[in-house]
Formats: sequence, structure tokens, C-alpha cells
Amino acid sequence: MTVDTAWIDGQPATRDDALRAAADLVGRARQPFVGGLRTDVAGLRSALSLASQTGAIVDHRGSAAIYPLIVASREGGAFLAAPAEMRRRADRVLILGDMATAIGADVLRVVTEREPDLGIGTRGSDRQFMTLGSKKVASPGSLETSHVDCAGAEIVDVLGMVRAAMAGRRTSEGALGEETLATIASFLKDAAFACIVFAPAEFGDLGCEQIFGLVADLNETTRASTLPVVAEPDAMGAALQATWTAGFPLRVSYGRGAAEHDETLFASERQLSGKGEADVAILVDAIFAEKTAGTAQLAMEFAIPAIMLTGDPDAAANAKIAFHVATAGRDHDGVLYDPRFGSFVAKAAQTTSELPTAADILDALSEHLGERARKAA
Amino acid sequence: MLTRLSGGHVVDPANGRDEVADIYLEDGLVVDPPTNGRAADETIDCAGLVVMAGAIDIHSHIAGGHVNTARLLLPEWHRAFQARPGETALSRVGWTTEETGLLYAEMGFTTVVEPAMAPSSALHAHLELADTPIIDKATLVVLGNDDMLMSMIREGESASAIADYVAWTVSASRALGVKCINAGGSAAFKENVRKFDFDDVVPDYGVSSRQIVKTLQKAVTDLGIPHPLHVHCNNLGVPGASSDSIEATIRAAEGDKLHLAHIQFYGYGTEGKRRFSSRGQKLAELVNATPEVTVDIGQVMFGQTVTISSDELRQFAGRGQASPKKSIIFDHEANGGGVVPMNYKQKSYFNALQWAIGLELFLLIEDPSRVFFTTDHPNGAPFTTYPDIFALLMDRSVRARWLDALPKSVVKMTSLPEIEREYTLNEIATMTRASPARLLGTSDRGHLGAGAVADIAVYRPGDDKAKMFGKAAYVLKDGDLMVRDGQVVKRKFGRTLTLRPEPDKAMKARLDRYFDDRYGLSARWFEVPDGALGREDPFKVVPCRT
Repeated sequence: MTVDTAWIDGQPATRDDALRAAADLVGRARQPFVGGLRTDVAGLRSALSLASQTGAIVDHRGSAAIYPLIVASREGGAFLAAPAEMRRRADRVLILGDMATAIGADVLRVVTEREPDLGIGTRGSDRQFMTLGSKKVASPGSLETSHVDCAGAEIVDVLGMVRAAMAGRRTSEGALGEETLATIASFLKDAAFACIVFAPAEFGDLGCEQIFGLVADLNETTRASTLPVVAEPDAMGAALQATWTAGFPLRVSYGRGAAEHDETLFASERQLSGKGEADVAILVDAIFAEKTAGTAQLAMEFAIPAIMLTGDPDAAANAKIAFHVATAGRDHDGVLYDPRFGSFVAKAAQTTSELPTAADILDALSEHLGERARKAA
Repeated sequence: MLTRLSGGHVVDPANGRDEVADIYLEDGLVVDPPTNGRAADETIDCAGLVVMAGAIDIHSHIAGGHVNTARLLLPEWHRAFQARPGETALSRVGWTTEETGLLYAEMGFTTVVEPAMAPSSALHAHLELADTPIIDKATLVVLGNDDMLMSMIREGESASAIADYVAWTVSASRALGVKCINAGGSAAFKENVRKFDFDDVVPDYGVSSRQIVKTLQKAVTDLGIPHPLHVHCNNLGVPGASSDSIEATIRAAEGDKLHLAHIQFYGYGTEGKRRFSSRGQKLAELVNATPEVTVDIGQVMFGQTVTISSDELRQFAGRGQASPKKSIIFDHEANGGGVVPMNYKQKSYFNALQWAIGLELFLLIEDPSRVFFTTDHPNGAPFTTYPDIFALLMDRSVRARWLDALPKSVVKMTSLPEIEREYTLNEIATMTRASPARLLGTSDRGHLGAGAVADIAVYRPGDDKAKMFGKAAYVLKDGDLMVRDGQVVKRKFGRTLTLRPEPDKAMKARLDRYFDDRYGLSARWFEVPDGALGREDPFKVVPCRT
């Protein structure tokens, strides 16, 4: 018995037939879109190469969650830390908002597993946590956390008032009152090394800028940095790889040859909605990652014909053409971005698989398209 | 296939050649001329052209987390982000890995060293290098602000144990050498120290910058790593303190080899009403008198650029001068770092004097085999300014024209107008080919003798040296013609040169426990496996000295 690994209009097909059909679809398209991008470095390299070859627009399905961080960093600058360094260094940790503890559980675990042990001011002291948000979230691990109750929409304003208070400027009472502002300010100012953990998606561009501004202010007299956490960290890896390959962190179009960047025009959601320029999508969903609370809402929806490369064929029912591919980090070795490390990590396969990798299929599609172009010439 | 480069002016100081001759290539290597009358299968006419080995850049920040952050921070400098691409500030900087490889190749450079790879971002750096076409690459791994090393020094561990740790780091990260950046300074900054000198001690470790440098220098020597410890001194860019720091560091070489990076940024005194003056002459004299040290310059050129450094303390201090006003500061394990954009202005007294100090050092350091050609790309200037720097070194009249455009107050503060020296082609080839290969221990390149890799740059000579070195007539990589008339005509990927010292098993086990326990990370995450890079045969191993 053979197992189906490719489908055209929901019907089983040979891989070659599916590749030919995919090449036809892409070859006829006015504006292809290469998206999803849930794959390893090899898959991303192939996806970006295919995009360059076909004049496609490129974005990751989770880039909306990282864009506030990217925009704030490149507009106004940033202070960024590695989780492992904060584990050893930070004696005070401020967790902002309600999302960070859920989507950043892995990162927070790295920080909280043991007490700080580097630095005269921190070594041997108990690490103190403060949460500033609308609900008292579960404390990371079994650690004692002080909670300041604050509606989500008020947090950014509160941080502005904390900055004003630290600078000796007068502020209004705000949502929390002068005394609480002073408590937050002193929690941060009196740290030997303060660390602020937050989910950029919860605060938007300006909110992230306010957080980085607060940390810049703190660094005038003490030391502080941040740990932004995101729901799909592979989006960060894809953004980094797109940056060294195309010059920009995703949301790139090769439509006019050289890579062009527009964070609104080339966003995945816009292109897949059918209201953008793209008329066919090549979508990759081939990464092995534990599902976390934040990822459930990110199921890929598309209103244009799609070619899907997926580790879960059931999720490709609506695709015009689908390929079952191996998942990086489980079925085959792969290099993936790991938020605990803050960089790329080579991960060995946990099992063996006969399935092709996403890179294999993308490269084969490139080859078919190249052949079509040669014949047409 | 036997290829003959016929009738060119061969400039090959490593082999004492400066003459019109033919060069023969076969199977990617330079070979002796055939003695049996065998005819070449292909001849490239080089009559009237200058033939050199491919150039080697020993210090250019082209890959890794900080470089990529600079790309991320400055989208407005990318040509596709602006309305008039030809006029963007960094339109020639080589902002993507692909452009970096192509632009270097077009100038005749065939090997480039990324000099600041953090152990924690080794894989990232190698992934970028694997995507950089044509040129061969190498990296220096950064130590000297890491808890492991400073703890070992504090605990008085043996030199051999420390060498084992350095060997593991070099081997795991696939580096060609070791760099030390503001030794102890970044660690001290994490403890809120804002100024750090060579004999200051890192709080909590009681270890001085001097001890760290000397310890690493010994470990590198003991391991037989060909490239001497590559040092970025304390107090970079600080008038007076920078000059004191580099002087103390050079004197600390004490007869053993040491390489000092981008020394232009340390040639600053405090004389004059602006409290900023040139100590270029004094620094050059010290280098001349200290034969065990080699240096590279880090020449400043005018225009927009971005500074990328693992010297977190100095990048933090320098963020006030950011132009445009934004910067990113990293608190990573060990060094951390920062990315700060910079616009060096010709009309600025300070920037113009920086430019002059770099040239003073180039021209007053007498031995071209001990001074290396760098802008510390992109910190002093993008590498695409190299052709202009060659012209400044080789032609006094070009320097005079540039000096005329500077503020008069600057001309009074530099000895540059009085310097008559003009670099010869042979000296240029020494500085950019023969000596870098010797410094890095890569005897397979930097020369045109039989057995060398057939990495060759052919230039069309002329009075305009910038034009000559800006667009090579031909560039061959491993014997393949890659560039013709300054344009890339073929693409392939080069390899990354690495050492591969055998790590001690006990040290490996100790580091497994250390990274897991202290950082919550697997030591395996610091390793760069061959298979991770997605290129066939990505590394070429350079042997350590015995």
C-alpha cells in the first residue's frame, strides 16, 4: 500500500503531477505569494529563492505578532537581552500585560529556574517579580510575585507616567495613583539589573516604543533590558533570515526584481484575504513545535488558490494542490530559531521519515518553473 | 583544464616576484609552467594588466546577529526603500549576504574574515556566511567577557585547562582565531560600571582587563592557533584614554605576538581647544618599535554608516552620537554589544581628524607586512570605500585634494600634509595578500606560487587608482572566472576556513554541565554542525601549528 503524499483538488496525485500542476498555477499567476513560512532555515532559503525567481511577495503567517517589536526597534531603537543572561543577572523582573506568561512560558522558565548568580548586586539574592496587568497571572514557577492591577489599555500610559515620575516631572494621577507609580518606579530603579518581559503584539508599535524608552531612561543610572516574547518564535527566525537574504524583515516583494519592503502592502493577512495583489499562494506549514496557548488563533486562512506544503494534510483540505512534507525538528534535522537561546539552533530529527522536506518540494517547484521558462524562451 | 594568464605584471611579494610573467592554473590551484611544451586549454590575455593573488580582508563585520540587527535597524538605507536608489547613503554597502559577496569579488577580494562572532551566535554567523557567494570566509570567536573564562582566571585554574576551554570554543564555533573585545568591559558594564581601563578589575571576579588579555594570548599561543590573539582595546574612541589603553596593551605584548584591531580609533589625544587631537604619529612610532604586534587601521571615510560592535560599554556610551538617533543595545551572554548608526562628516573637525589619523597610521607605520588594510567595515566606512583608500595611500596628490576640502583647523592638527610616502603596488599586495595570509596561517592563499588556491585578481592599471581597484578586470576563484570588467559573470559559493583543535573530553563534559546548569542551555546549541549549513563541503580546515 502506498501512502498518498500529494493531492490536486483534494484528489490523490503523484508528486510529479502535483509539481507540474503547481508550476502551471504559479506560472499563470500575475502575482504569487509565498507565505506560511513555518519551516526551518533550509526551507526558508528555498522559499526566498522561489520568491525571488517568481517575483513573489513574501511574509510569515505570524509576522503580525513580531511587527510591533520590529517597527519600534527600527524607529526608535531598543534594549534587548538574552534569556540565559537574564537568568543569571536580573534581580528584578517586571512582566507587562496578560499575554507574556502564556506565550513566553518557555522563556520565562529559563529565567526563573534558578536564582541570579552573576553580579555583586544580584548574586545570592531572591529574584523579585512584579506583574502589571488586568489579571493576576499564575506566578512563574512557584515564585512570589507582586501584582499591580491595571487594565490592558492603561499599561502604556502608566509606563509613561512612571518615566515622568522617574524624571521628576509632575504627572496626573492616572489609572493607578501616585503611590503605585512610585512603587513601580522604585522596583525598577532600585534593581541591580531589571528585566522587562512583554509580548509586543499586546502593546503595538507605540507601546513597544514606550517600553524601550522606559528602559533607556533606566539605563541612565542603572542597568535594565527587555525580553520580548512572541507566540510563533519561528516568525522571528524567518524575519532574521529574510533580513540577511533580502535586506528586510519579511513583508517583501520581488515583483519588480530587487526586494522591496512595505509592512502594510505586503502583509500576509492582506495578501491572503483576496483583497491584495496576490492571486495564488504557496504556503508552508512544516515545523514541529509544541502548541502553546497563543498559537491556536493563528490557523491559516486564505481566499485565493493555494499550494500547501504541510506536515498535517488534514489542514490542507481547501488547498488547490497539497504536499505532505516532513516537519523540521521532528522528521528531519533542521536549523530552527529558539527563543530560549535567542538565536538559531541545529535540532536533530526525533524520528525517521520518508517524506520530502519543505525545501525539497520548493526546490523541485523552482526547477519545474525554470524548465517552463526555458521552454517558453 | 590548464589555464594560462599570459603576459601580466605579476605582483607577488610572498614569492619575491614583481615582473611580467605568465601564471598557470589547473584544478583550482596555481601550478608551475608546463615544462613539456603542453599548451594551455584556455588563455586569458593579461598583457598590460596587474596580476595579484585575491585580496584578503582580515577584519570586516559581514555576518552574524549584530550585523543583521544593523540591517534591521536601518531599512531606510536599503536601496529599495528609497525613491532614488542611486543616491542612497549606503547603496553600495553590500547590505545583504549576496551583495556582500558580489561586491567584494568585484574588487578582487576573495577571502574575508568576520572578526566578532559570539559563541552563542556562531551558527547564525555561519548561516549568513553560507549565503555569502563567491568569497571564502572565516570568523574570529569572541572571548574575554565570558563568565567561564573570568571564573577560571579568578579560581587560578591552570593554563592548560584554560587552553582546553578556548580550544572547545574555537572548535565548536568553527572559528579561525580568537578575538577579545574590551576585555572585561562588557561584563563590568552589566554591573553598571561606565568606564573601564586596562588595569581595572571586573567587579565580582577581581580580574583585570590585562589579566584577561594575557591569559587569552597565552592560550592562543599554546594551542598553536596561527592568528595571534586579536585585541579590541578598552576605551575605544575616548580622547586620551583610548591612546593610553592601546599603549598599555601594546606594551603588554611582551615579546609574544598580538594583533591590535582598528587602531585609528585609539589614536586620539586631548590637546587643542576642542580637546581632540591626533596621536597618530606617537602610536605609529610605538608600533614600529614593537615588532611582535600587528595592527589594522579601521580607516574612517566620510558619509553615512553604522557601527556594529560587541563592545557593549562603548556602544552604549556612543549612542548619544547616533545619527539617525536610534540604536540597539544587547545584553547577551558574555560580550553583548550594540548597533549605532554614524554619519562621518567631512566638515566636522572630529570626523575629519579621525580620517587624517587613519592615514597617518597607514603611512607612518613603516612595515607594510605589519599593518592591515581595513575600515573595520562598516564601523569606519563601508568596505566599498576601499578603492578610494587605495588611491589615498598610493597617490599623494589625491591626499592633497582631500585635505584641501577639510576644515583648516584639522589640517593644522595633523602631520598628514607633510607625509610624502606613496604605497607601491608591491606594498599594497603585501598588505592585502601576502601578510594577511601569513597572519591567518592560511598558507594556501595570498600568493601565486605553485600549490596556492587559484584565487586571482587582475587589475587594469591607470593613474586613477580608485578606478583600478574598484572594478577588477578579472577575478578568478579556485580557478573559475567569476568577474570580468568589474561585473560578476558566474556565481558559486566559497568555503569557510576554520581551525579544528581536538577538544579535551573532560572539558567537553565540564562545559556540558556548565551550560546546562548555569544558563539552562545545551552545550550542543553552541556547536555548528557541517550539515546545518546546507552547502556541500562548507568548511576548509586550517591546521594549528605544532
